[in-house]
Amino acid sequence: MSTEENPAAEPAPVIDVQGDGRWMSQHNRFVQECKDAEPDVLFVGDSMVQLMQQYEVWREVFSPLHALNFGIGGDTTCNVLWRLQNGELENIRPRVVVLWVGTNNHEHTADQVAGGILAIAKLVLSRLPKSKMIVLGLLPRGEFPNPLREKNAAVNNLLRASLPQLGPVQFIDVGGSFVHSDGAISSRDMFDFLHLTASAYRTISMTLHELLLQMLEEMPQERRALLV
Amino acid sequence: MSADSNPAASPSPCQDIQGDGRWMTLHNRFVSDSKGKEPDVLFVGDSLVQLLHEFEVWRKLFSPLHALNFGVSGDATQHVLWRLINGELDYISPKVVVVWVGTNNHGNTPEQICGGIMAIVSVIHQKLPHAHTLVLGLLPRGKSPNPLRERNASVNALVQAEVASLSHVSFLDVDPGFIHSDGSILHQDMYDYLHLTQQAYQKVCQPLYERIKSLLDKQAP
Repeated sequence: MSTEENPAAEPAPVIDVQGDGRWMSQHNRFVQECKDAEPDVLFVGDSMVQLMQQYEVWREVFSPLHALNFGIGGDTTCNVLWRLQNGELENIRPRVVVLWVGTNNHEHTADQVAGGILAIAKLVLSRLPKSKMIVLGLLPRGEFPNPLREKNAAVNNLLRASLPQLGPVQFIDVGGSFVHSDGAISSRDMFDFLHLTASAYRTISMTLHELLLQMLEEMPQERRALLV
Repeated sequence: MSADSNPAASPSPCQDIQGDGRWMTLHNRFVSDSKGKEPDVLFVGDSLVQLLHEFEVWRKLFSPLHALNFGVSGDATQHVLWRLINGELDYISPKVVVVWVGTNNHGNTPEQICGGIMAIVSVIHQKLPHAHTLVLGLLPRGKSPNPLRERNASVNALVQAEVASLSHVSFLDVDPGFIHSDGSILHQDMYDYLHLTQQAYQKVCQPLYERIKSLLDKQAP
């Protein structure tokens, strides 16, 4: 599906309807962080990414990898695309970019959401030709089986098939352990059946951390002087 | 202002537009969870309440007080009101109910939001005549000065005045001074200029804990 016909691949900022301009404040802060920091790993996405930084696991596992967190709660693929096109990839050369977005794309079909995620991956790889990517699959949501679980699973299947063709992109689905045999998700894993608890983040972080270490070790460290 | 003319005081459930029924699931879970428990303290409100449960500070300060957490992200006063009328208070008798809601009441005036909070206070008193309700002040929000900060401050002033004459309700301003001299709120305190980091929750929760403890001590038989 070309960008012209996929609304999920149309970059769009979040318009401030509430009145305190928080989305733009966060974006501007991330753009500034790109000027101040030299991350080896960049996390970008929605609240699944943003919330991770609020738990201990971030400080213990990801900070030591010199990771930056550009997650914003509520973001769709359109919002992430806009942010990355408008400064959040400037001045930095992360060796790995971790992308986790798509569960908030309520207006779009699974095909469109997958297309939006692919568009983001293509953008990142074209702007950072020496970087690798990890794309996380959308997690199941809701306490019991529901249409959004099917949609998210469909997005994941599409990504699994099409991401490898883009190049150095790994797709990982960390949602497997959350749905029990009776189809239920526990509030001990997702306190509101969407967002992860500290212990659930620990579980997924182990897989993610291992993969990151592998990717970082495979790549020779660029000397900083060469990046200027 | 009557409930009919105030949308913030008119109980309404959240409609499931996303498709996974999470709001109702959470409400049902709160009702059924409450059947087995005997909490001394109940926290009810929006995401500022809900997220508090996910951090260490909850386990350290509030679990030992036998507290339950009925926070739902995104809730406005009319949603909390609906939940309290529809089962969340039916099976428990906490001594203290902590109410923290109002910042999501977009489109309502400070008077309407205050009306919504007072409607909640009233329902709690009807269902739990022996409980003390502690209403927490709305925090400032946004990186820089903006209309929502003014709105929230107005709500706080109105609520504080209304509860002054009531013996079963008190108001607590839990803002430890999030706004700096240049008018900014730091992301180290509110990572998205609305929700609290762990460090910010520590600053908010210590005085809150002290107040709850003293209320519980007063109520001890």
